[in-house]
Amino acid sequence: MQSIIAKSLARQGVRPAARSFTTSAARWQAVPTEKPVLNKEFKIYRWNPDEPAKKPTLQSYTIDLNQTGPMILDALIKIKNEIDPTLTFRRSCREGICGSCAMNIDGQNTLACLCRIDRNPGKDSKVYPLPHMYIVKDLVPDLTLFYKQYKSIKPYLQNDNPPEQGEYLQSQDDRKKLDGLYECILCACCSTSCPSYWWNQDEYLGPATLMQAYRWIADSRDSYGEQRREQLQNEMSMYRCHTIFNCSRTCPKGLNPAAAIAKIKLELAAE
Amino acid sequence: MSLRRSGLQKDVLSLYRRALRMVRTKPTITQPKFLLFVRYSFRTQASSVAPRDVAAIEHLLRRGQRQLEMYEDKAVKDCQVSQAMRVWEEEQQAARTTP
Repeated sequence: MQSIIAKSLARQGVRPAARSFTTSAARWQAVPTEKPVLNKEFKIYRWNPDEPAKKPTLQSYTIDLNQTGPMILDALIKIKNEIDPTLTFRRSCREGICGSCAMNIDGQNTLACLCRIDRNPGKDSKVYPLPHMYIVKDLVPDLTLFYKQYKSIKPYLQNDNPPEQGEYLQSQDDRKKLDGLYECILCACCSTSCPSYWWNQDEYLGPATLMQAYRWIADSRDSYGEQRREQLQNEMSMYRCHTIFNCSRTCPKGLNPAAAIAKIKLELAAE
Repeated sequence: MSLRRSGLQKDVLSLYRRALRMVRTKPTITQPKFLLFVRYSFRTQASSVAPRDVAAIEHLLRRGQRQLEMYEDKAVKDCQVSQAMRVWEEEQQAARTTP
């Protein structure tokens, strides 16, 4: 008889000696740790190019912050996955290295993946595309001009005298000059926050492009500094910068385009 | 209709002229296809917006310019003509012959 009981207990996987312990553990596991619901409203700019006659609108979505990741991009992805699959935005690396998810969040140009959600449920978060750009759809701006401007400064090494063998050598001090310049990911946050760029996009290059121009002027391995400076020596290309400093304030990577532009101005003035 | 045109109207017409010039740079065999494509895209999109909806017209203008830039490429030698375009062409011809 005892052996039958023991067998049935063994079949259920319960050992008599440890019985009280296993049931208490099971009860502890059975209660899920539920976080309270923390609803927050997101107001997102919507515009559909397939219906060009319709005006752009702000659409509001309410989601539970405790079921979402900490960043604005997490919230956007959750909205797209669960509420409205037509919401359109660019995103790729979700860690601030690709620069795809640049947008205007609560009045500040930044990367959605680096911007924490304000956890105050009483205040809504407003999400707009980058200001003063043509819109392709919803939060996607048309960056064609921005890339064309970047191309116009020839962002590659130009040197007519390559070394006899091996690679271009550079001293550690010369390399240090490029710190704070080469990290730029071209997210266009700074250019689109600059009032000068808003009014003169067609001719003024904008802080992001100018910082890259300086990155190549400052490079000791590049021998075309003269031509690069010559290209900027006119009314519009660079001198539309009036040291407003919106670019440095907004840069999500913590770079300082205004300082780079000031250094170009110094070099041009010293010539 | 008065002959004085607004700046926007001139922009739209110049886009159309540029598109028609693009057609003539293409190989002779495919020119009718390009022509139908240009006429169909221009006419259907132009009639889809109200004449006073300036923002919408400007958007279509920018989109058209981007698209045209692509078609002006030397490497583009042929284009696809859809069934909807052929139907539209026949309707146009029917409207012209039976007034």
